[in-house]
Parts: sequence; C-alpha cells; structure tokens
Amino acid sequence: MHRDEIPPGTLHLLILKTLARRGELHGYEIARTIQQNSEDVLQVEEGSLYPALQRMLVKGWVKAYWGTTAENRRARYYRLTAAGRKQLQVEESQFERVVHAITRVIQTA
Amino acid sequence: MRWLAEFTRRFQMLLNREKFDRDMDEEMRAHLELREQEQREAGVSREQAYTAARKNFGNALVLREASHESWGWAWLEHLLQDLRYAFRMLRKNPGFTAVAVLTLALGIGANTAIFSIINAIFLRPLPYPNAQQIYLVARTGNAFGGESISPAIFAAWRQQQEKVFEHFALIQWSGDVTLMVSGEPVSIPSMGISTDFLAMTGVHPILGRDFRPEEGVVNAPNVVMLSNRLWRSRFKTDPNVVGQSLTLNGKPYTVVGVLPAGFTGPTFSPPEAQLWFPLQVPATSNDPGNGGQLCFGTLKPGVSVAQAEAALTPALSDLRRQFPKMFMPHERARLIPLREMLNQGAGATMLLLFGAVGLVLLIACVNVANLTLARSTTRQREMAIRAVTGASRTRLVRQLLTESILLAVFGGTLGLMACYASFSFIATLVPASLPHVGPFGIDGRVLAFAFALSIVTGIIFGVAPALGTSRVELNSSLKESGAQAGARSMGGLRRTLTVSEIAISLVLLIGAALALESLARLTMVKPGFDARNALTFSVSLPSEKYDTQVKRTAFFDQTLARLSALPGVEQAAIIDTLPLEGGSDILFNIEGGTSAAPAGEPLDANIRIVSPDYFRALRIALLRGRELTAADNVSGAPVVVINQTMARMFWPGKDPIGQQIWIGKPMGPAQSEPAPRRVVGIVADIRESALGDMPGQTMFIPYTQTKWNSAASFVVRPKAASLLSFPEIRSALHDVDPGEPLTQIQTMEQVVSASLNDWRFHAILLGIFGALALVIAAVGVYGVISYSVAQRTHEIGVRMALGAQRKNVLRLVLGNGVRLALFGVVIGLVVAVALTRLMANLLFGVSATDPLTFAAVAVLLILVALLACYIPARRAMRVDPMVALRYE
Repeated sequence: MHRDEIPPGTLHLLILKTLARRGELHGYEIARTIQQNSEDVLQVEEGSLYPALQRMLVKGWVKAYWGTTAENRRARYYRLTAAGRKQLQVEESQFERVVHAITRVIQTA
Repeated sequence: MRWLAEFTRRFQMLLNREKFDRDMDEEMRAHLELREQEQREAGVSREQAYTAARKNFGNALVLREASHESWGWAWLEHLLQDLRYAFRMLRKNPGFTAVAVLTLALGIGANTAIFSIINAIFLRPLPYPNAQQIYLVARTGNAFGGESISPAIFAAWRQQQEKVFEHFALIQWSGDVTLMVSGEPVSIPSMGISTDFLAMTGVHPILGRDFRPEEGVVNAPNVVMLSNRLWRSRFKTDPNVVGQSLTLNGKPYTVVGVLPAGFTGPTFSPPEAQLWFPLQVPATSNDPGNGGQLCFGTLKPGVSVAQAEAALTPALSDLRRQFPKMFMPHERARLIPLREMLNQGAGATMLLLFGAVGLVLLIACVNVANLTLARSTTRQREMAIRAVTGASRTRLVRQLLTESILLAVFGGTLGLMACYASFSFIATLVPASLPHVGPFGIDGRVLAFAFALSIVTGIIFGVAPALGTSRVELNSSLKESGAQAGARSMGGLRRTLTVSEIAISLVLLIGAALALESLARLTMVKPGFDARNALTFSVSLPSEKYDTQVKRTAFFDQTLARLSALPGVEQAAIIDTLPLEGGSDILFNIEGGTSAAPAGEPLDANIRIVSPDYFRALRIALLRGRELTAADNVSGAPVVVINQTMARMFWPGKDPIGQQIWIGKPMGPAQSEPAPRRVVGIVADIRESALGDMPGQTMFIPYTQTKWNSAASFVVRPKAASLLSFPEIRSALHDVDPGEPLTQIQTMEQVVSASLNDWRFHAILLGIFGALALVIAAVGVYGVISYSVAQRTHEIGVRMALGAQRKNVLRLVLGNGVRLALFGVVIGLVVAVALTRLMANLLFGVSATDPLTFAAVAVLLILVALLACYIPARRAMRVDPMVALRYE
C-alpha cells in the first residue's frame, strides 16, 4: 500500500486535532489514530512525533503526565490546554486558507 | 506574558534535562514495544517485528537531538560539549597549549596595559557633569603659541561673551600655598578659579557652598575650598570644617566648601590642586602679557562654535590697536572642546604605542594560527571521523573555533594577571605631564576590553585554521597516515604566516631600536652645565608675607649667605626656572639696533633671573666680559649677561659687551623696564629648554634688579658629593624663616633625567614590545621548523641511508629557516621604510631610515631565526636512518 508523507508543517495540526477529538492519548495512540483516521494514507515517521510533542510542551499547547494504560503499562499521556485549543483554531484556519488557495489555482489552471 | 511562561518552561527543561531525556526515552521505548506487540499479534516473527518497529520509528539519537532543539537549548548544549571537548584537546597537548597561551598572554597583556593608559587619558569620563559642553576659549595666530590668555584679553572678552556663552570662566595655577600643620610648614598646590567655574562644570561642593560672585572681585574677603583629599588627610573628614579659619601664607582664610572626590582642575595633569581660591578678576586690565590663565566656557543653547568665535574675535582686533606689538594681525578666538584640548598632547605618542602593541598582538595571533595549523594537519583523521559520524562542517568549524577562543581566553586571563603585576612599573613610565582622569589602572572598561580582545583574538587566529581543517577530504584523510594528510595544502599558508610574522617583528624591532637609540643619544647630550653632585630645591615665598621686593630680596640674600657659609658648600645660587624645566621669554629692543636687528624691532629671547653665583654653581663658562656680582643690585647700574647664541644672533661679527637693551619695551610703556640694561658678559650656551633642542638666545638678569614674584629654585654645589646633606640645607633655610617649606628637593642629575621622561616612556615601551615581538617570532620560527623536521623524519632518514652527511642535513634544515627569515626581513625592511617615517618627530639624532639601525636589526633577527632553527636542525642530524625508515 502506498503511503504519503505528511506535508511539512501539518504535523502539529494533526496532533492538535487528534487530541481535541480524543481527549487524552499517549504517543503511540496519537500515531495510530492519525494513521487510522487518514485511512492509512498518511504516514507519520513515528519517532518524529516526539520532538513535535516536546515543542508543543514548550509552547504550552499540551500538557503531559504519566499514567497507566488499560494493559497496566506506564505511558505518558498528552492533553490539550486552552492555549492549544486556540492554536488549533489558528492552524486550522491557516490550513484551510492554504488548501483553498491551492485548490483554486489547480482548478483554474 | 506568554513568552515569560514559555521561557520558564524552557528553563525548567534545561534544569531537568536528564529527567526530560529519561521521560522521552521511556516513552519512545514504550512506543516501540507497543508497535512490536501489535506486529506480533498480526503474526509476524519476533525478529521481523523488532526491525519493522524500528524502521518505521527513525533514529532515536537524531530524535533526541531534534527534541532538544525544540527546547531551544541546543546551542548551549553544543557549546558545553564543544568546551568540554576543547578542554580535553588542550590538556592532551600540553606543549602546544602552553606555547599558545603564553604567546597570547604576552600579546593580550601588553595590549591591556596600553589600553589602561589610553583608558585613563582618552576614555574615562571627565569628572564634570557638563564636560561635553565645555570649551577651552583660546586664540590662534598669536605670537606666543599655547592656549593661555592674558588678563587684558579676558577682561575684553568678558564684556562681549554674554550673548553667546552660558558660563564664561577663568582658571590659573596659583602656585604652592603654605599651610601650617602642627607647627611645620607644608606646601600645598592650589588653583584659582573664577567664581562661576564650578557652576560651568556642573560640580557641587559636598559640604558648604560654591563661591559667590562677590568673592571674585579685587579685595574680596579671603575664602577657600578644600579638595576632598586634603579634607580627608589633614582635616580627618571633619564635617564642621566649613566656616573654620585657616592660616594660608600667613593670612586667615575662611573655608566655604569641600569638593567631591576626584574633582581636579581642567588640565588634568599633576600636581593636583588641593586648595581652591576664587580668582579675583579685575574688571579691566592693561596687562596684555601672557598670564598663564586658561579661559573656558559653555555655549548658550543654539549657539554654534563659529558664532561664539565670531563674537570674541573683534575684541582681539581692538586689543591690537591698543597694543600693536603684542597682537598679530590675524588673531582669532578659537573654541576647542575640553577633551580635545586634554588629548592633543598625548595623541601621537599613544597612537604610536597602540599601533605597536597592536602589532605585537598580531604577531601573537599569526604565531598561534601557525601552531594551530601545524597541529590541524595531524588532526585531519579526527576531523574525518567526526564528519563521517555525522558532524556538519559548521559544527566542525564551531568546535575548532571554540578551542581557539578557549585558548585566547586562557591567554587573556594570564595576560591580565601579568598586566596587573607589572602595572606599577608601567605607571611610573607614564610622564606626569600627560593629562588623565583617575589613576592608570584596571577598571571595568579595561576588563571588558581584555575579554573582548581575547574573544576577537581567538576568532582571528582560529578562523583560517578552522576553515582549513574542517575542509576534510574524507577519502584521502582516512587512508593517508595521520601526520601526512593535508600537510601539503597548508604548508604554503604556514610559510606565509611565518614570513609575515618575521616581517612584522622586524618593523617593530626597528621602531624600538630607533626610539632607544634616540633616547641613548639624548642621554649623551652634554647639557652644557655640570649636573653631577649639584643639588636643587624650590622655595615659593607667599606674597602676603613677602609683599615687597625688599623683603623678598632680603630673604634670598640671607638664605644664600647661610647656605654659602655651610662648610660643605662651594656655591649656592638661585634661578627663577631651572634649565630643562621650561621658563619664560620676553620681548626687547636693542638700543640703536644692529645689522641683524634694526632699531625698534621687537626681539624675543629667553629670560632667566639669577643670583651672581649661578654660572659658577652650574659650571657654565664665562666667555667674555664679566659675571654678575653682588654690586649689580638695586642701586647699581642695570646689567644683563647673555649667552653665546644671543650674542651671535643679534650682534653678528660685533662685540655685544657694552651694548644696551630695553627689556619689555615692545610691550608698551607699562611693561617696559624703566632703563636700558648694559650687556656685561657672555656665557657659554647650555640646553635651556630641552636636551634635544638647540640652545636658544637667553639673557640672565640679577634678581636684585628686577621685580619678580616669589618662586625660586636653589642650586647648591657641594665641595664634594658626600659633604652636604639636605637636613643641613633645610636648617640653614629655616634659620632665615622657619615658616617656608622646601619643595622639589632633588639632584640636578634627577632634573636632567626627568626632562627625558616623555622620551623614556615611549622608548622603553617600544623596546619592550620589540623584545616581545622578537621572542614570539623566534618561537614561531622554531615551531614551524621543528614541525617540518618532524614531518620529514622519514625523508631525512632516506637521505641519510643514501649517504647524506649530517652537515648536509643541517644545511637542509637551516636553509629552510633562513629562506623564510630572509623573505620576512626583506618585506619587513620595505614596510619599515614606509612606517618609521611616521615616528620621525619622536626621534633624536637618528634618521627614520637609519641604514645602520636597519641593518643591525635585520642581522639580529636573522641570527635569532637561525638559532630557532638550530635546535630542530640538531634533532634532524641525530635522526637514526633505521628508526626513521620504520617510522610510520
């Protein structure tokens, strides 16, 4: 099956959106959710999630805490903050503007 | 506020770096395990699941780096890493590190020392809040030169300045004042300031009040302000000192204020005034003669310097109408910013020294760059390995630069310590006449300079080697043996550096040699008088107590008689200004004129006021006529003795004895002597103004036949050096007046020596810099040659195995070094010819392109280079062919 690399700069948006929809997730769950929701088209190089999450922690968009999974495994859970929700709106509308513009260019060409 | 919260989080991450790393490691491990587990559940084998999970995940190390970068501390981590690594590298190469650090310490230390002098002279803010706005008000085009003005000019200007000047002030040294401290007279330097001077500077007394305008008029009550130092030392910081009465020069003065610490007069050269009097400025003055007064002012807002000059210039034209001989046709008022006035004397010398010391640092940089390059060829493999394992070129350059800067900072620290240790010596070299603010010493600015200089130095000498070294050719570097790789490409650069190092040191050495030669020649100049064993001291009679000429003459007569009566004294005499310590000149006419000087033409000559024994006390020969005698006093006929130059200049081919001159006549009736003087004798020339200046026309008049104010220098010639002591002299003086302090007690030889202080200052410093340059260059040549010997061990071994003699090897190595040295010397000679011309007016008795000096220095440098090559050459001679062939 062919998988596409995610466009640069959208990883934050994907993570924010995933967390907004699903509440609290640990890293592996985030990766899997993105993959499943994109019907396996979008391929996140799984490791790159973690630097991105670190960056979002610094920015204050997410909060992290250690918890246990259903299988009783230690895992670090991430949750959106108010700032993260705001950032999600910003990135979503930004993304929509870009997609809209690109679509128009493609259709008129 | 968001950035603050973000910064706090970043900072926490920095502090808890390890925890964050552990958390992420655990998190990523968990991720991999979960992925593996999922694959296993899908029926994949254990090994395949393991590899698949990792393949999809990416490089854990790179990820960790990336997340560190997202914390924003990557630069700091890299820096710390680089520093740790640099420390290790420097420790692993103690020889290299020691030589590099020492070289840099010499360079940076010397620069810091010079900078701390420059700091005190040019940079430190003046202790006046309004210093930026203050101008010296002087005139250009006048016959006397210098910046001082006369009472007549100040009086005239004061009437015209009001529209353009905010403040208009005058200062004048008022000489030493005698203060009685527990029964002993103490001489204290003082200064007179017009009553608005302090307001102009913006300085306020820390105790008491400023002078009032009514205290600045003639016959105002006697008031005085104390310097902070005097208040501390003599009055024990007594808070009630204001209002107390002091006896100064025998008269009561009321203390009205104490000045803040660090306050000095606007000339900023010692002696520092400790007592401040209000200048009693007359509203009008008929005295056009140069009074040694300096005028200062601050402009009204919106007034330009040109406007102010234009406003004051007409007064000078008016004065010229009144005193046609005393003013030149095109005299103009001129405003000079205070700072500029202070620095104009020091500018050229300090620029020369700063340039020279900069060259020393440049040589140090070249030297260390060279050593670094030499070492970098052996580091090619290390660089290649780091490049292969993923270090980018920027990262390699950064690493290498970190090493350089670390070296430079070590060098700078050591240099600063050396500078600190040697500072008392350097400070004694600085001529006291150079105006400066505060002590010459290491303050925050000097520290900042040393630090910045170290960093810049590290970059300068590090950048070329770093760029060179980091350009790794992986293939050849990894294949070739460590010592050989890249050596060829950088050998040329290293030789160029060595050549330039030699060239620069030659330039410095020639400069130093010329300056030292000038100093030596000055020391050998015969001053024309015999300074050996002669003693001198000064007495400054207070005008209040000695208010008449009769009293002053009586004091000097009696003191001279007492001194002459001492068993050890051969002669005792006085003069108003000692030779080599300056002195005044005056205009005169020759009665009837001569072929060289038509009647009525104003002539100029040095004038000295002496007692009869002056010539004998200093062993100045009488050439014609007679000396002055005790009979040449107030009741005798007015007489004058002239020197040989004066006789030759104004009476060419004629005998001046018996001729008459009118002293002061061209300056108008008020300044003219009442009667002409008859020339009675001609004495031999002496160096009157400076050892380096040819004797000028000088006349000597007896102190009993003129009005002179108060200060005199005594010259005492003992029968033998050991027969006379200062306590004897002091008690002889105090027999006459126990209230008069002696100052400037010294030998005439000290006077002669002190007159060369300016010369000694730059000559010794240049000499030190030259010596440093020589040492550093020698180390440089040694380093390059011994490195090339080490590199060529194999080749030398082959040569010897094929039958080369030891002397051939010696010639090979020495030839290498000598070629570099010759190259450098030739270039250096060319540069020196161009540069030494700039120091022409700092030379005496030697031309700026003196061939002998040039040749001698060139030979010296080549010999030192040879010596520096000889040590590695001997090592090369001892190469055992068997060992060498096995080497590598």
